[in-house]
Amino acid sequence: MKINTSIFSFLVLSSTLFLRSISISSNDLLGVAPQDELYYKGLWSSGKVKCKDGSKTFTKSQLNDDFCDCFDGTDEPGTSACPTGKFYCRNAGYSPLIVFSSRINDGICDCCDGSDEYDGKTTCKNTCWEAGKVARVELMEKIEIFQKGVAIRKHEIEQAKVSLAQDEAELSKLKNEEKVLKGIVQQLKEHKERIEKAVEKERIQKEKEEKQKKEAEESESKNKVEEKVDVEEQAPVKNNDDEAAILDNYSSGQNLKEVPAELAVDVVKNDHVSLENGEKHDPVDEEVSEVVHGSEHNTGLGSKGEDATKDFESLSREDLGREIGSRWTGKKTDQEHNVNDAKNDFETSGYVHDEENNEYDTETDEDHQHYDDATEAHMDGVGDEANEESSASYNYDPDDDMDMLDMETESSPSWFEKIQRTVRNILQTVNPFQTPVDISEAENIQKEYDEASTKLSKLKSKISRLTKKLGNDFGPEKEFYSLYGQCFESKQNKYVYKVCPFKQATQEEGYSTTRLGKWEKFEESYNVMLFSNGDNCWNGPDRSLKVRLRCGLKIEVADIDEPSRCEYAATLTTPALCLEGKLKELEDELGKQPRLHDEL
Amino acid sequence: MGQILLISLKTDTNNDLSITIKGGRNMSSSSIVLHHFLFLLLIVCHLTSVSSWKKDEFRNCNQTPFCKRARSRKPQHCKLIATDVRIEDGELTAKLMNPQENLDENSLIISLSVYQNGILRMKIDEDPVQNPPKKRFQVPDVVLPEFQSKKLWLQRYTKDGDSFSVYLFDGYEAVVKSDSFEVFVREQSSGKRVLSFNSHGLFDFEQLRVKKEGDEWEERFRSHTDSRPYGPQSISFDVSFYGADFVYGIPEHATSLALKPTNGPGIEESEPYRLFNLDVFEYLHESPFGLYGSIPLMLSHGKSHGTSGFFWLNAAEMQIDVLGSGWDAESSILLPDQKRIDTLWMSEAGIVDAFFFIGPKPKDVVKQYASVTGTSAMPQLFATGYHQCRWNYRDEEDVKNVDSKFDEHDIPYDVLWLDIEHTDGKRYFTWDKALFPNPEEMQKDLASRGRRMVTIVDPHIKRDDNYHIHKEASKNGYYVKDATGKDFDGWCWPGSSSYIDMVNPEIRSWWADKFSYTEYVGSTPSLYIWNDMNEPSVFNGPEVTMPRDALHYGNVEHRELHNAYGYYFHMATSEGLVKREGGKDRPFVLSRAFFPGTQRYGTVWTGDNIAEWEHLRVSVPMILTLGLTGITFSGADVGGFFGNPETELLVRWYQVAAYLPFFRGHAHHDTKRREPWLFGEHNTELIRDAIRVRYTFLPYFYTLFREANMTGVPVARPLWMEFPYDEATFNNDEAFMVGNALLVQGVYTRGAKDVTVYLPRDHTWYDLKTGTAYKGGHAQKMEVTDADIPVFQRSGTIIPRKDRFRRSTLQMENDPYTLVIAVDSSGAAEGEVYIDDGKSYEFKQGAYIHRRFIFSDGKLTSVNLAAASSTSSFVSDCTIERIILLGYSSKTKSVRIEPSNHATDVELGPLQIRSGVRSSALTIRKPNVRISDDWTIRLL
Repeated sequence: MKINTSIFSFLVLSSTLFLRSISISSNDLLGVAPQDELYYKGLWSSGKVKCKDGSKTFTKSQLNDDFCDCFDGTDEPGTSACPTGKFYCRNAGYSPLIVFSSRINDGICDCCDGSDEYDGKTTCKNTCWEAGKVARVELMEKIEIFQKGVAIRKHEIEQAKVSLAQDEAELSKLKNEEKVLKGIVQQLKEHKERIEKAVEKERIQKEKEEKQKKEAEESESKNKVEEKVDVEEQAPVKNNDDEAAILDNYSSGQNLKEVPAELAVDVVKNDHVSLENGEKHDPVDEEVSEVVHGSEHNTGLGSKGEDATKDFESLSREDLGREIGSRWTGKKTDQEHNVNDAKNDFETSGYVHDEENNEYDTETDEDHQHYDDATEAHMDGVGDEANEESSASYNYDPDDDMDMLDMETESSPSWFEKIQRTVRNILQTVNPFQTPVDISEAENIQKEYDEASTKLSKLKSKISRLTKKLGNDFGPEKEFYSLYGQCFESKQNKYVYKVCPFKQATQEEGYSTTRLGKWEKFEESYNVMLFSNGDNCWNGPDRSLKVRLRCGLKIEVADIDEPSRCEYAATLTTPALCLEGKLKELEDELGKQPRLHDEL
Repeated sequence: MGQILLISLKTDTNNDLSITIKGGRNMSSSSIVLHHFLFLLLIVCHLTSVSSWKKDEFRNCNQTPFCKRARSRKPQHCKLIATDVRIEDGELTAKLMNPQENLDENSLIISLSVYQNGILRMKIDEDPVQNPPKKRFQVPDVVLPEFQSKKLWLQRYTKDGDSFSVYLFDGYEAVVKSDSFEVFVREQSSGKRVLSFNSHGLFDFEQLRVKKEGDEWEERFRSHTDSRPYGPQSISFDVSFYGADFVYGIPEHATSLALKPTNGPGIEESEPYRLFNLDVFEYLHESPFGLYGSIPLMLSHGKSHGTSGFFWLNAAEMQIDVLGSGWDAESSILLPDQKRIDTLWMSEAGIVDAFFFIGPKPKDVVKQYASVTGTSAMPQLFATGYHQCRWNYRDEEDVKNVDSKFDEHDIPYDVLWLDIEHTDGKRYFTWDKALFPNPEEMQKDLASRGRRMVTIVDPHIKRDDNYHIHKEASKNGYYVKDATGKDFDGWCWPGSSSYIDMVNPEIRSWWADKFSYTEYVGSTPSLYIWNDMNEPSVFNGPEVTMPRDALHYGNVEHRELHNAYGYYFHMATSEGLVKREGGKDRPFVLSRAFFPGTQRYGTVWTGDNIAEWEHLRVSVPMILTLGLTGITFSGADVGGFFGNPETELLVRWYQVAAYLPFFRGHAHHDTKRREPWLFGEHNTELIRDAIRVRYTFLPYFYTLFREANMTGVPVARPLWMEFPYDEATFNNDEAFMVGNALLVQGVYTRGAKDVTVYLPRDHTWYDLKTGTAYKGGHAQKMEVTDADIPVFQRSGTIIPRKDRFRRSTLQMENDPYTLVIAVDSSGAAEGEVYIDDGKSYEFKQGAYIHRRFIFSDGKLTSVNLAAASSTSSFVSDCTIERIILLGYSSKTKSVRIEPSNHATDVELGPLQIRSGVRSSALTIRKPNVRISDDWTIRLL
């Protein structure tokens, strides 16, 4: 092997020098690539040459004699005798091609110069010149795109660096604010608790006085309280993680049960999300109940789980046919679909939730616009072309960044100072040791405490989300930063495919959305975006999508396909893939081509 | 909501589930219950999808009254005696009657006729003079018309006591015993029995009668009611096979090759082998349950007699018990002291039309059977290559892509298949215009590289007034009728569907015309057909098939011909393909349902198997059994239809299936793609190798297909067929023979590092890859790698190969041959090659090359086997490029070739030209003699 390599490199270096001096007709070296010609030269000088794999030697008369002597096909470059052989077509006017030995004299023209069909049974037209012309035009077009793309890419990378620096600055600022705010909240909390203690003391006093009078009534009211607690306890059960997190923020250092009644109401109110969410879940619940109903009526056509016990007797003949047929198709009628959908909704309700969240924030938070503007500002210049010309792209509010909407980037110093001032005032004026407690002052403290806590929890989620954003892999040169917060659509027949880098990919049909995958990572050295763990397929895998990236001036999704069941593929063109190195390769390739003016 | 949950759960008998939910009900929050419920529901869905065998949906013997009745009868139940024994029309006839009853009532007529080469045919039917209410159904179109010409006209019988015997074959006679009634075949000289009928007196024939008041004839199963207007009409009897160690045959069951006993002492709860064509979702291996096709032919084989066979031509539901020894211990029946296997045959309707095949060699029985029902059609050469199928290749682009990937990876294949989704709404003979806008161009493009396409055409016709097939069929009354006389309306892929009544020759002819290029728009000469769902599958019918009281042409009830329905459909389709090319092109039609005679019309596969090792394992006995019962061109879906095979299983499947007659990869639409190149470079190479090995052996396979076509001897054979004297082979169904020369041992387990191979005795076996010689006669442990499975060439054989690789069979046409000679202990070997144009019927006029190669005394001779005078001829310029000698020790350096009188070299060369193969064998380099010529090559 080692010997072979050295021979080979020698050959490459000296091929042009020697070859012309020896008279070997091209017929003798049929199917041999130019860089290999010297290897075979040995047959003329020494009469024998080793097979490239070293297994044995062969003579000049054994070269292309239509009998396989070398396992690796060295002796039969121009015939079909060796199964592993390769045939080299020169294809003058176009690119040379190496074809399998199985193609030689098989009646099919594989080389554009027709050199693979030489037994006289098949006539091939030489189509190399035309093919070459087309290829050269394509190559030049590609080069042009690359040239422009490389420039856009450079710009994007610079822009991304600026934006990232801004994000980081923002993050550290937020962290500072968080620290201060934490202190305030703590102070307010202590203050509040002192007041509460005082109030509690007064209450106990009062109770003692009224105890004898109102024994019967008291037991009644106690019952009411218990009921209320029950209701409140249910909310967290329905909520999922995000809400739980929010609740956690609220109750940090506090047991929910200890929250005084008024405050508890506030929790519920502030936790609008969870309520909304609960409501949002209801339709899902109904859907599910429909499924169950459906199973009853149609004796469970919908689910395979019920097959085993299905009461066929009660099925209409049509339904029975459908039912049995569905075993093979897996099209478990609409109900099955619903079950799956319901399940998916259930599992992924985070998404439903987020969208709800959006609405809520949009309605209530005027700062929403700020972020959008900011995002757009980021986009400006990143690729005007990309954004404006690609009708199929738009910005999304990165799902879990919703709370960043009240980031109040510019105005924050004002609210921040304001809250600091207010709290200072309150703490100075309110005297917790005063008896009886000044109710209005106590309320004031309570209010300020609530406000500050809310702000703090929002601030916390802002920080976590910004941290998460910055945790994304935007590529070695951050060239994919601009794709963050954008979605790209492609319509295919009845489906709309939506690819949102760093977030998710979906397939939409009318009002139904199927998730093809959640953002996972880049693959194949940033040539592929992988979205995985999408909605599950019946009897199949979780859906997934691989997006192959290509150099292009516009960001566009195309060629959506499902090469294997529930494994999707698509391409996305982006300037981020217009690499200088590749441009160089293309230019070199063009350089090797016959000059265009030769053709004219 | 909780309530709804509970109601829905009542329909589910899964106890675990309902218990859990009851617990859930006590929780205060309904949403928790809901959440749990969904979760559980999903789990249940998942679990049941793993084992979806729906036992309850199919009748077992106890739920099948005729089977239950027959099984409960005790030996000596039959009280009939044979009277009026005489010779009439060259047959022995008699009346069967019960002496205790009125003699003129309820008598049956029995007739025995004898045919060339050891075949006895016995018919028992009602006596027409008694005017039975209806003529019982006798299956037409199965027995070859020319079979009649083989009838030996009996002149006389010999009477000995109450036994009447007639000549059957040289050394054999058939005997009818009058009282108690019994029929048997025996050796004349020794008196040793071969086969007997009713020796245990279990014969019962329920005669048709007029319904009397109070007769309850209806039968109910699940939600279905069978009106049974003619009442009980079943037939049952016992058959004994003498000298038998094992019995085989009666497909289709996913069981071992040697049939296990199903009833008798120590056998609990076993069902009889059922023959009832059914579309079974995810069938089980190791089950006597009846699958898609039925052939009521049983063979027996044993050391003492050899082989015999019994075939009952009857298309109604049949159940067959193989009785374990000692089953008749309580009866007082005394039979000759011979080793014996008893069987019980039961059928719901029809007549007794039974054939006794005396053997005595395994190949004699299959030939005898073939002389009754025909030999396998000669396939086109392309059909013997590799087929690539999937439910579904989505559209033209998908087709183009898959096709080009084969070329990209240099993997040969011949046929690309389209399943039901290619049609416009499951209307067969149409195309989905969006997915397949240019079907003709697509087929022509494939054809330009020598490749064919197969599309699916099923017998259920969408009831859609805008569908031309439905319009014509309903207008002309071409559909099967329901019990009330209306067009039967069942549910299948297209939804509401009716079923063409293919029993009627006129309708078959109409159907056949639908395959003309003008009628089947978008079809081209390179398009062939796949018949699926022809059991027939009726999703909302009893046991997923047609009600037994549905009516066919000639007022035949579906119960009477159920098992032949798919056969007629296959026949009509096959005739359609013959018609469209004016009888010049051999048809290719794959069918799932089958019946005796199917071999004349095409290919079958073993239906919807599963991607499991056990299913790979059972595919071998299933295919061998089909071969034994006439259908040699059969295969199983490579990889398993349902589920995703692990890569190792897929590779092993390719390696085994490459040696089985019909070689097609197929997969359910919910499975992951599994084309050969999708499992990494190494596995692509392994699969490519497996497919290429098949292609190198195609000259040998094609020669074997011709042998099957001429004689009925199958391509893939159980070991005992080739080595009937070697007891160790009798129940071996892990290994099989391809022809008489190749022994193939499958690997059926995950991660196998070695495998135990039994090589039959009295032969030397040469490992195909290493050339290593093994002495036969004992089981030996052999190392295996993932690269291939153990395959051996038997000493004394010569195998023709084509060692060059091409895209498909078409491009191999002019490639030279390699001969591999494995000499026996006397230094001799023999083999054959058969070649024709690979597609037309010209071979019937003599346009073929058939050579025998004889090697002995260091001399190889090619002898012509083709008929001397022929009206047509076939020419081939192919030469032999290489002759490999195994087991021949000689220091010879060259050979002399006659008559050209030139010499060529002998050297050491590879046994196979494959990377990684480092074996070497004595190789005659470039003899370049023509395959079609007479020549002799002498080793010097």
